[in-house]
Amino acid sequence: MSSRQTSVHRKLLFVVLATTAAALAITGAAMVFYDLRTFRDTWIADLTAQADILGQAAAPALEFEDPTSAHAYLALLRAKPDIMGAAIYTSKGTMFAEYSASPHAEIEFPKLPDLDGSRTVRNGLELFKRIVNDDEILGTVYIKARYPIVERLTNYLGIFGAVMVLSLIASVLISRQLQKSITQPILEIAAVARGVVERRDFESRANKTTSDEIGVLVDAFNGMLSELGDRTRTLEKSNRDLEHEVGERTRAEQALQTLNAELEERVAARTTQLEAANKDLEGFSYSVSHDLRAPIRAISGFCTLLIEDHKDKLDAEARRKLDIIAAEAGRMGRLIDDLLAFSRLGRKALEPADLDMAELARSTFERLRRADGAKPVEFRLSSLPHARGDRSLFEQVWINLLSNALKFSSKRDSPLVEVGGISEESEVIYFVRDNGAGFDGKYAPRLFGVFQRLHNDTEFPGTGVGLALVHKIVTRHGGRIWADGKLGEGATFHFTLPKETADGRV
Amino acid sequence: MALAVLLLAVVPGLARGQSGDVVRAERNIKAAYLYKFAGYVQWPDIAPGSTEPITIGVLGADAIAEELATVTVGRTVNDRPISVRRLGADRALDDLEILFIGADEGGRLPELLSATGQRPILTVTELEGALTSGSVINFVVSGERVRFEISLPAADSRELRLSSGLLAVAQRVYRR
Repeated sequence: MSSRQTSVHRKLLFVVLATTAAALAITGAAMVFYDLRTFRDTWIADLTAQADILGQAAAPALEFEDPTSAHAYLALLRAKPDIMGAAIYTSKGTMFAEYSASPHAEIEFPKLPDLDGSRTVRNGLELFKRIVNDDEILGTVYIKARYPIVERLTNYLGIFGAVMVLSLIASVLISRQLQKSITQPILEIAAVARGVVERRDFESRANKTTSDEIGVLVDAFNGMLSELGDRTRTLEKSNRDLEHEVGERTRAEQALQTLNAELEERVAARTTQLEAANKDLEGFSYSVSHDLRAPIRAISGFCTLLIEDHKDKLDAEARRKLDIIAAEAGRMGRLIDDLLAFSRLGRKALEPADLDMAELARSTFERLRRADGAKPVEFRLSSLPHARGDRSLFEQVWINLLSNALKFSSKRDSPLVEVGGISEESEVIYFVRDNGAGFDGKYAPRLFGVFQRLHNDTEFPGTGVGLALVHKIVTRHGGRIWADGKLGEGATFHFTLPKETADGRV
Repeated sequence: MALAVLLLAVVPGLARGQSGDVVRAERNIKAAYLYKFAGYVQWPDIAPGSTEPITIGVLGADAIAEELATVTVGRTVNDRPISVRRLGADRALDDLEILFIGADEGGRLPELLSATGQRPILTVTELEGALTSGSVINFVVSGERVRFEISLPAADSRELRLSSGLLAVAQRVYRR
């Protein structure tokens, strides 16, 4: 039996016991009060009658002054042990005769008699009764008696206690039987409720045994239980559906991830293949260029020798044609050099160092001017932020960009080349601007391809490799390059380099 | 109340033993006892509840008669008033409930008593041995106290019924 069940039992039992005890206590108190009052009245009436009889009997003794016979009458009181003592006073108030039940316990008789009546004293009850004969007061009887009210009260309380104990025992026994009709259905509901909580058993039902409030409770409980069961089933089904759905989604995600991984693998493989192919191609172009170089040198060299050694034997037309051969051979040589430089770039390891870009730009410009030197050119160089990169490669960058600018502005009356730079948050941006021929903006994306030329070779000579080389260098350093311009209004080339990272890498 | 006054006045006198006072106290007590006796006697010819006066005749004791007349004024015994009659030597002893024959007439006591015959008269005397002459109650002085003795045969012969209370306080009761 669980504590909850005990508690209902105990509470009901307590109610019954408390009610019984209260009813008994009130009844008992009323009875004791009534009885003690009656007892007192009866006792006083009894003693008064006794005193009366005594007085009437003692009247002749008083009238004829015979204390002896009065003593004899008083001595008869020995038959009543409750009377502790008695006395007869004359009408004058003097002691006439006295009696005390116990010769040892001397009674303190009042000096003078009192009026008719009784009073309780410390250890008993005192009573005075006048002796009257023919309207004449002959004397007074005094009686002192035990007043066993405390004994009586004690007896009463003892009886009352016994009755109380017996009643409570009877109450317990009776209520235990009668309680069952109330507690049994409640305990049954509690058991079913515990089944729901502990085993999630929504199928059990409490039995309805009565049609009172508890019966209503049982019905309501069963109704709620069935509702609860339905809802729980619905909820569990919906949970299962949800779990299923989540599982499917997880599976789909996993499939997607697998697919992505495969794809990445394939991309990586393809990239590796492409890189290898690229390398092969570079190697091929290098070796081709390298192998082409020797014949071109031979052609160029023999042309020179032919002109120098056989100048006299050649007419003007032959010389002109020989000059063309020599020029073309020289051009071919430069083209091959450029191609070699370009393809070497793919193999060469970078050697990063701190670069003073302004100094680099200026020295390159001056070198280019010395080689060409004909026409005055305005050169504007603002302060440039430092950068980190391969020095020889960036010399190539400046040579290409500045020579392009000089080349395309050379036909202007007052050529202008402007170099500037700015430091942004994560990168530095440089630009080279000229006021030369410019280009059609729609061709800008094609500027940086190998052999891509927007101008006629006779108008502006070039191999078509320079900007491709610049693009490759900047890209290898992690930067970007782009150009904008309009036909006839000059061009501007921008390139960026990432700022040095904390670990010194670019 | 009169008795209280009487006792208050008399008893200390008795105690002191002064002869004049003693005589007067004894006389007063006897007078008081005389009418008190009436309360303890039933006469055959008087119905209970009667309010006829009780007549006490006094012979040969003028002082007592005088005292008795004084103390019985306004008194009743069992609702019956008390009438005191001083008797001369020649007076008939009829119509009496109580007859007191004083010591002065002690000489002719037997004669006087026999004169009452068997009539229901409570005869009271104060002479030693008077009971043998047919008296019902006889005062005796015992120590300094006035007591009395009773002769039940005398009472019976006169059809008087004496209460047990009276017998109880008597010094001596002769039953035959």
